[in-house]
Amino acid sequence: METDELIVNMGPVHPSTHGVLRFRLRMDGEIIKECTPVLGYLHRGTEKLGEMKTYLQFIPYTDRLDYVSAFPYNYAFVKAVEELAGIEVPLRAEYIRVITMELNRIVNHLVSIGSLLMDLGASTMMLWGFRERENALQLFEKLCGARMTFNYIKPGGVREDIPEGFIPQLNEFLKDMEKRIEDYEQLINSNEIFLMRMKNIGVISAEEAINYGMTGPTLRGSGVNYDLRKYEPYSIYRDLDFRACVRNEGDSYARYLVRIDEMKESLHILRQVVDTMPEAKIVSSAKYGIAPMTGAPSAVSTYFPRIFAPPAGEVYSRIEAPKGELGFYIISDGTTKPYRVKIRSPSFCNLTAIPKMVQGLKIPDLIAAFGTIDVVLGDVDR
Amino acid sequence: MNPAEELKQKLPAAVVSTGMQVNKPMAVIKTEELLNAARKVKEMGFDHLSVITGTDYNDHFEVVYNFFSYNNKQNLVLKVIADHDKPEVDSLTSLWKGADWLERETYDLVGIRFNGHPNLVRILLAEGWMGHPLQKDYDMMRRK
Repeated sequence: METDELIVNMGPVHPSTHGVLRFRLRMDGEIIKECTPVLGYLHRGTEKLGEMKTYLQFIPYTDRLDYVSAFPYNYAFVKAVEELAGIEVPLRAEYIRVITMELNRIVNHLVSIGSLLMDLGASTMMLWGFRERENALQLFEKLCGARMTFNYIKPGGVREDIPEGFIPQLNEFLKDMEKRIEDYEQLINSNEIFLMRMKNIGVISAEEAINYGMTGPTLRGSGVNYDLRKYEPYSIYRDLDFRACVRNEGDSYARYLVRIDEMKESLHILRQVVDTMPEAKIVSSAKYGIAPMTGAPSAVSTYFPRIFAPPAGEVYSRIEAPKGELGFYIISDGTTKPYRVKIRSPSFCNLTAIPKMVQGLKIPDLIAAFGTIDVVLGDVDR
Repeated sequence: MNPAEELKQKLPAAVVSTGMQVNKPMAVIKTEELLNAARKVKEMGFDHLSVITGTDYNDHFEVVYNFFSYNNKQNLVLKVIADHDKPEVDSLTSLWKGADWLERETYDLVGIRFNGHPNLVRILLAEGWMGHPLQKDYDMMRRK
């Protein structure tokens, strides 16, 4: 029988592309011969905007890159600025930063797993995930007034100290979450349909994953034991006890399991941070640059100049965001605005490997494999 | 020994100078020797190409490559300088597949051409877009 190849267009408006991603698929019957992602539908010129805003003005823009987990994006940019200018950060502020980032990691993985299951046709996990996510978002709201776009972490510390009642509410969340993760595992882990859709689908070997520049849970799902928090520690991660979660299979199921494990590890980190957090009474004496300064010295922020211009230089600074290696390359010419801001986004780099992962599979497998890469289009297109 | 110095020792003709980029060793490479140097860098164990950054300095372009080695836990930065009128450097897609999209993005936004890239077309901006927004003389007021 004579058959023809067929070009199928998927997206940009498609419920399982998690935003506005488009795939051009060259199909032979049901088999994907070639998959070409088409990007740019959400490109907002964030890097150009970075050159037009002052350092502090740019922080809200970092929230809008990965709107599912914005705290790490705040932090990654601020960390690069701090490295560039040599700004000291009070210890209590670092503890608060880690609390926000680890909570955000849990939120990110809940959304990731929830939408993965939703794409496969099981809506329970989406609802459960969003139920717990709501509790975390209420914590964020209590902390800084915003639920998704925070603008909370700033050079030299954080905007405000944690409010009264935050820690008890956080402890409650941690206690609740522990049970919930068990529930998720019971619901999903050995579900036969889920296993059939996940196991041996979208397999990528460790060498290939590295060569494609994959990072984060997608890399650890292929058996590479690497976590920047552990092996290039920043903030207070050096003092914390946790492990990098690794699975060796390299398939969609392994990437899913890595995320479940990471949520448990995040809970473990959060418990330690809450237990060892320094008192709010210790007011920081750290100071950056010369007067005039803004605000009074506080426990969670360095005394900071109103007009901020770091010395000329360039820096590349990276952290382990929930989706992978997130880096900011900043070039300063000594003025109040960056000369160049380059964003190394984990979603963009991880997505590079999808054509390789889905070659020879069927369209529903593309959706399953794509779901386990966990991208946010705001982060891909910037 | 720091990897930038090591590279200089192995390829003295390719390395213009070495230094530090805050806490990462950096080597400035002759533009025409980039592919050779990159091949050597990969042999030295730098298996992860983290990011490619292109910058317009009005009279020249700079392209910066951040590498990392998973085995040796080392960082290395390579920098090449490209001509402003004809910004062209060699593509590293033959060594790191991850370079594909990073180079396309740098071409799209900064306007640097990567010789030997299999599919050097715009990736974020629309087909047929005029100019490259991250060039410093890009006119923000004109409709493209």
